[in-house]
Amino acid sequence: MKTESPGMEAVTALLRRFEPVIRSTAGDKFYPMDVEPYVRACSLWVQRSGEEAVRIVPGGELSLDRLVQQPMDGAGAVHFLKFTDAEDLGSDSRGGRLRLFRRRAKDRKESRRAFRAGRGRLARVGYFSRFVDALYSIALLARGRVPGESAAAASVAYERIMAEQEHYRYHARVLRQDGWVVLQYWLFYPFNDWRSGFFGANDHEADWEKVFVYLSESEGEVSPEWVAYAAHNYTGDNLRRRWDDPEVEKVGEHPVIYVGAGSHASYYAPGEYLTELTLPLPSPLARVTQAVRTFWKTRLGQYVGDGEEDGGSGYFSIPFVDYARGDGLSVGEGGDRSWDEPRLIANPTPDWVSGYRGLWGLYARDPFEGEDAPAGPMYNRDKSVSRAWYDPIGWAGLDKVPPPTETLEAILEQRAAIISRCGALRDEIDDKSRWLKKLGAELAAMRDRSHLDAPYEEGTRRVAELSGELDRLRARLATDEAVSESLDEYAERLRAGERDPARAHISRARRPASEEELRVSRVAEAWAAVSVSLMLISFVGIAMFEREHLISMLVFSIAFFAFVEAGFRGRLVHLVSSANIGLAVVSTLIIIYEFFWQFVVAAVLVVGLYVLWDNLRELRR
Amino acid sequence: MIGVLLIFEVIGLVALGGYEFLQVRWRGIDLESLQHQAVEVAVFALFVPSAVLTLLSALSFLFLHRRGWLLAAIAQGLSLAVCLWLYSLFQPGYVYPIMAYCVLMSLYLNSQDVRVVFRPRQGPHEN
Repeated sequence: MKTESPGMEAVTALLRRFEPVIRSTAGDKFYPMDVEPYVRACSLWVQRSGEEAVRIVPGGELSLDRLVQQPMDGAGAVHFLKFTDAEDLGSDSRGGRLRLFRRRAKDRKESRRAFRAGRGRLARVGYFSRFVDALYSIALLARGRVPGESAAAASVAYERIMAEQEHYRYHARVLRQDGWVVLQYWLFYPFNDWRSGFFGANDHEADWEKVFVYLSESEGEVSPEWVAYAAHNYTGDNLRRRWDDPEVEKVGEHPVIYVGAGSHASYYAPGEYLTELTLPLPSPLARVTQAVRTFWKTRLGQYVGDGEEDGGSGYFSIPFVDYARGDGLSVGEGGDRSWDEPRLIANPTPDWVSGYRGLWGLYARDPFEGEDAPAGPMYNRDKSVSRAWYDPIGWAGLDKVPPPTETLEAILEQRAAIISRCGALRDEIDDKSRWLKKLGAELAAMRDRSHLDAPYEEGTRRVAELSGELDRLRARLATDEAVSESLDEYAERLRAGERDPARAHISRARRPASEEELRVSRVAEAWAAVSVSLMLISFVGIAMFEREHLISMLVFSIAFFAFVEAGFRGRLVHLVSSANIGLAVVSTLIIIYEFFWQFVVAAVLVVGLYVLWDNLRELRR
Repeated sequence: MIGVLLIFEVIGLVALGGYEFLQVRWRGIDLESLQHQAVEVAVFALFVPSAVLTLLSALSFLFLHRRGWLLAAIAQGLSLAVCLWLYSLFQPGYVYPIMAYCVLMSLYLNSQDVRVVFRPRQGPHEN
């Protein structure tokens, strides 16, 4: 059960005590701002299915109060804000277009001066991923997307707002859940220019990011225990860090966030993060692939590679780099700018949070949703309530972790429950054991009595069943006893002040690219940039000029590209083993095709010989 | 064990090549119109590089060199590729036993137990 904390001043003081420090990347143009001036600059639209989008409130006339006073929408209707309205910017006129063009050129120049991408993302990932990446870029032309001039227009609009009143503000909420006090810091950016500014996956108007600090409470004092930074759509254990984890950088009691350029994803350490957008296989194909993998690994005992052993549903991944270098503007304690007074999301929840279920920026109608603006802090794009809102503990995988003040109690309670269960199990085992002995005696009495054959068989079945059940009960008792002892030891360790390892819960931490990865040679970089195009051109060349040797030339060229690629990426072993597997599969199919009847005859012969051997063995007994 | 199996493969290749070579009456061959059987046997020479590689990899395995695995895998792949190419051209009878042996060797080389032993050294594991 969760409840909002009372006392606005106390809440604000608590929030300010642990408010984060954000460190941006040089070249980033947008910073956390208040929603009020943003909404005022926006127009409000509605998109009903099968119709053109209709503007409900023009730009400049909207407010947080007016945002929620919308008429009932029909099924499938999507309300959305538009921050960069072409009409408002005058981009329809010749002068407006020129201004916008100049602005884009200026932005690009400034961005180039402030931000250099460094060694490319493409050189760090596989060939296939690069090919899918090319397809993804081409697909953007057909998919709904944020127009090219939007980033420049958003930059103009943002500068206008900041010129009126420069501010850096977060939105915050405090709540209690399952013994934890959760401080939610919601950071609102007016625009995500990851694609247009930093070679990322998408652009969209409005960007809601979040950072949660989890506090435990003891005798009226709170102490920070965990933090969780949101990055893209990740959830669960890997998202959170313990407060004493060395990876969590702090300025006093303020956790430091390294913000991804354009994407505004939050990271614990500065660096360049390879983010792979994984496209899942269609489910029937995924099932078949998984079955083949399982057979390959478990039945044939074949090697499936590091990091691939757990399968994974996605086989097409597109690489993107999140540049979270921390060399740009920093906001917060000890930073270049200070936070303004936060906008509280107190109880009762303000209408602009709970009443507006639409998108906070342009609805681009992108089927992958990457280019559509997000919904507000409380909702998902489909208008369902977001888990980070209603279950911030579960969102970061903290639902299974009791607060430190409750840990010992939880352990002792669980131990007591197990001990009590052990007692009940022992009684049950005693009863069933006695019953089994009686049944055994009954069976012995019935043995070799032909008139009791039927009850004897029935009794045998019951004895087998009961014996199996007893075995399961004893195994469970043994396990419970071991768990109880382990809980006992754990409680002792806690009493002695020992703590679990800070990173025990992390199965896959996101880490920035290592120095070695960033030292990709210029040749590898150039190869990564041209290889996909070069391969496609060579295919066309072969198809046009070498039709007589089409297959062999294609095989040769694919082998050549694969070999060069594997050489650059140090994956020669992987290439050789994959090629061998492919050749072995084809060869096996050919052998089966050529010798099918011989195999059938041999199989029948083997079965016949086995039966003969088995029968002869029985005869000799 | 792998080294011995690879040496068996080399011996098999040499024996099969020798046997096929002896089956052809080379004296009566007219260079203008090469007999089909003679061509089939002559192209057996394509297995020479893979046989040499197999021998080298067998020696590497016997001397416990980590690189032996890569050499052996390349040799098996090369043999299989030659087999498939010859199969697409002539379908000579000798390719089938070579194919079968190479398939089994490829699977053995790729098995979990073998790969784990001969896996290239890596840096410290990153989560």
